[in-house]
Parts: sequence; structure tokens; C-alpha cells
Amino acid sequence: MKFLTSLHILVLVFIISYDVKAKNQIVADLSQENVKITTDFLGAKILLFGAYDGQKGDDIIVVVTGPKGLVTVQKKEKVFGIWVNTKSVNYINTPKYLNISSNRDINKILNQKTQKISEIGLNNLKIRLQPGKKVQKEKEWREALTRNMLKSKLWSLNENSISLNKNALFRSYLSLPSNVITGQFEVKILHYRNSKLISKELSTINVSKSGVSAEIYNIAQNYSTLYGIFAVILAVLVGWGTNLIFRKV
Amino acid sequence: MYYHTCTNNNENFMYIYLPIAEQPIHSLAILGVGTFLGLIMGLVGVGGGFLLTPIMMFLGIPPPVAVASVANQLVAPSVSGVLSHWKRGNVDFKMGTVLLLGGVVGSSIGVVIFNFLGKIGQLDLVIKSSYVVFLTLIGSLMLSESLNLILRKRKGKVSRGKLHQHNWLHGLPFKTRFRKSKLYISVLLPIFIGIIVGILAALMGIGGGFIIVPAMIYLLGMPTSLVVGTSLFQIIFVAANTTILQASQNQTVDIVLASILLLGSVVGVQVGSRFTNILKGEYLRLILSTLIILVSLKLLTDLITIPSDIFSVIINR
Repeated sequence: MKFLTSLHILVLVFIISYDVKAKNQIVADLSQENVKITTDFLGAKILLFGAYDGQKGDDIIVVVTGPKGLVTVQKKEKVFGIWVNTKSVNYINTPKYLNISSNRDINKILNQKTQKISEIGLNNLKIRLQPGKKVQKEKEWREALTRNMLKSKLWSLNENSISLNKNALFRSYLSLPSNVITGQFEVKILHYRNSKLISKELSTINVSKSGVSAEIYNIAQNYSTLYGIFAVILAVLVGWGTNLIFRKV
Repeated sequence: MYYHTCTNNNENFMYIYLPIAEQPIHSLAILGVGTFLGLIMGLVGVGGGFLLTPIMMFLGIPPPVAVASVANQLVAPSVSGVLSHWKRGNVDFKMGTVLLLGGVVGSSIGVVIFNFLGKIGQLDLVIKSSYVVFLTLIGSLMLSESLNLILRKRKGKVSRGKLHQHNWLHGLPFKTRFRKSKLYISVLLPIFIGIIVGILAALMGIGGGFIIVPAMIYLLGMPTSLVVGTSLFQIIFVAANTTILQASQNQTVDIVLASILLLGSVVGVQVGSRFTNILKGEYLRLILSTLIILVSLKLLTDLITIPSDIFSVIINR
């Protein structure tokens, strides 16, 4: 089954690549467009593959951005011998998932200025502080954000992870950790020649809770009191049930 | 070119994704912990929640979810325990009802405080430090008591103290007769105890047995035979109230986590209660108190050692 699917993709990619040559564009596909978080979810690995009209020395960069929103950075300080969260800074418009991959070091593909303009790189994201609060040593907080997001595997920078083949095919893997946030993930595939963007392709991945896990989450959010009552009734019944069973033993 | 999207290998099938904690966890580990804690509960009569919640936190469950889900699971072994004690006539329902009235008020206050602490970002700290304080206190009291008893038994002297002592607490108004417990005390006292225990129960994810049992013996002067059954009776309601309020206010009750834990614990309680006559109480308390002190030390170390990163990130969902 796996072999057949691989073969299928291979044939498809060759057909597409023939087509791509003619139109000077990039075509990509994902092994999985809908990621379902079910009760056995342990994270997902997605294959991103496609074809481009390339020449020797061309580069591919893939940027996958998850839902954006509020992320809080907290700082601990020692108070009476105990480490306590004393300060916090809110960042808005922060991607809760980010994966940047490329076929070689990004600094060799693009200069710093271009990276900044096209928002490629962990430090070039347009993340803003929540207005209304003055922050001292902002750089320290911003670095802490990047460091912690990388540690949680929600952000990742994978240079040299895209494999190119015959200047026509590319292939890359994306990892979604088990603590991934649900929502729409934007996949941007960029094709560069001599630091110039030749073509690009956009795609999306949908991450959603599914099955029993999703049902439970939705009920807990939308019918929270009923959910609590049900949780109690369940516990009472189990407690009573075991008493009946063990009385007979 | 090979094609691979599936990460659910055979060795991973034991993992279950917790819908509220939003992370996978090894189901057998949770079941084992539940059973072990149930065993302790069955053997000693107390000790479900106050060890279970810290262990859940050690396993990586976020403290708010651990506290709320443990409150949920506590309902089951308490129901099962009360039924056994009731059969033997060891429950003072009047006293239990007064205690639970205070407990329901207390746990409601506790959930409000819980909510507030979460908003100002100090919830983890308060949960962990209250555990350090209470576990150290209870652990060392239990340890010294059991050591004393063991030493005295070795010497062959077992003295019995007074049934209970009268102090100013017994001079409070609204005196009521509790026939079953053979007490004539102010109703304010058990209500007050109930409130305090209720607040702690909601904040720490405990039934409060380890506080209410000594309080019933030493402050109220209840006969020891009635203490465990009556405290379990009030724990059902306090834990149930906490669960419903945590679910509606904070959405932190993970029913999957609670279910696995309670399945383990109800079996553990039943098995444990069958072995109470074989193991000597004071040795059991010695082991339990050592365990409690170890857990509290671990929590304390977490609080006082320099964190690997003084910055942390909260991703608001």
C-alpha cells in the first residue's frame, strides 16, 4: 500500500514537472492537508513535495505559519528564596506555530535586508508588543520568546532540510508536535534564483480536533456546567458500581 | 521516495491524548498511579488527592488541570468508601451535612480564588507552595506520631489520652447535639472547619481528608471510628462542587484523565481496605509519611532551584 502510494506520487510528480517546465512555475502538494487531533494523536509528520522549473544553484525556502495571536512571556525572579513569576510581557500577532526550512543556509540564499523585508527568519517576524505597556530591555524578552518557542518545538528552523533533485523536484518534512494549536496553517513555498523570487506557491494545512477528543473539548467549552455535572455523575456511578462488584467478591 | 505520515507506531498505542490538558499521556502510567493511590487510601483512610495532584504535576499535567481533574476523580473512591462505612454504621450524617455545608461554601470561594490567581499568573506558585507547606506539616506530624507509637509499643507502654479536651472552641454559640458522635458543640465550629477545608480542596485538588480527619478528632472531639466515614461523606460533596465549578468557571476538568485515575483508584481502595488488618497501622503511616515528605521535598526543590530558563512562555489558546 505504502509502496503503491509512493509510486503514484512519483509518477504524478514527473507529469507535473513536465508541465512546470513549460510554464515556469512551482507546484507543490502535501501528504496530509487535514491533521486530525484524535485520542491517539502524538504529533504528525507531513511530507511536502513538488516540482519547480529550476536551474543549477536555485533555492527553495518553505515557511509554514500557524494561527497568530497573543503569547505571554513571563520572567521569574527570586523572592524570599523562591522563584516567582514577577514580570510579564504580551506579544500580539505571534505565530503559535512556525516552521522555516530551506535547502541550504538562508544567509547564503538571501542577504539580511531581503530576509527582513520578506519576513524570513526567526528574528524578522512582524511580532509586536501589546500596546500600552512600556518594556525595558525589549531585546531580552524577544529572545526569550524565540528560545522558548524553539524549545517547545512549536517553532523550528530547519536549514538544509529540503532535498532538491535534478533541479526539478523538492521534498521536505514538517513536524507538528503533539501540543500543536488547532487552526489554519499557511504553507508558503518560495523559489529563489540568485536571491530573486522566481515563483511561489501557497497551500494550507488544517489542524483540528476530531472524534471523541473533539467532542469532549467542545462540550467542556460550550456546555461547561453540564459537563461538570456529567463528570460528577460518572464518578458517582463508578464508585457505587465498584462497591456493588466488590461486595459480592 | 518514501511516504510517511503516520507516527502511531506499535509502542505508542498506550498513549492517550487528553482533550483538556491537550497533550498525550501514557495511559498505563496514569492507571498505575491511580491504583497505587487508591491502595494507600484504602489502607490508611486518607491520602488520595494530596499525593495524586503533585504526582500529576510531576508527570507534566498543567497544575490547573491536575487540580480540577483530581477533584473529579476523588468523588468515586469517596462514594465507594462511604457505602462501606455506612454499612458498618460509621457515618455521622448530621455532622457530615454540617461539614459539607461549610465545605460547599469554602470550595466555591476556593474556585473564585483559583480563577483570580490564574488571571494574575501566580496559580502554579500558590498550588505548589501550599503543597510544600501542608505536605511538610502533615508528613512530619505523621512521621513523629508513628515513630512515637512504634517506640512506645516496643517499650510495652501504650497510654490512652483523654477522649477529648474542652477548650474555648466549645464555648461558641449555636450549640447543637450530634447524637451519633455523642457531642454537644457549637454548629459554627464544624461549619468553619468545612469552609477552610473547602477552600483548600478547591485550590489544591484534594478531598481534604488529611486536614479534616485530625480536625474532627482534635478540634471536634469525634470518636475515631466515625471520623473516616464522615469525612468521606463530606468529601463527596466538596469534590463534586469543586468539579462542577472548575468545569464551568475554568474549563479545566479533564474527564479522560479523571476516568483513568478513578478506575485505578476504586479498585485500589477496595484491595487496600482488605489488607488493613494485615499491615500494622503505625508502619503504614511511617511509609506514607516518608512518601509525603519526599514529594514535598521535590516540590520545594523545584521552587528554590534556579530554573533552567528564568523566562517562560504562555501560549494563549
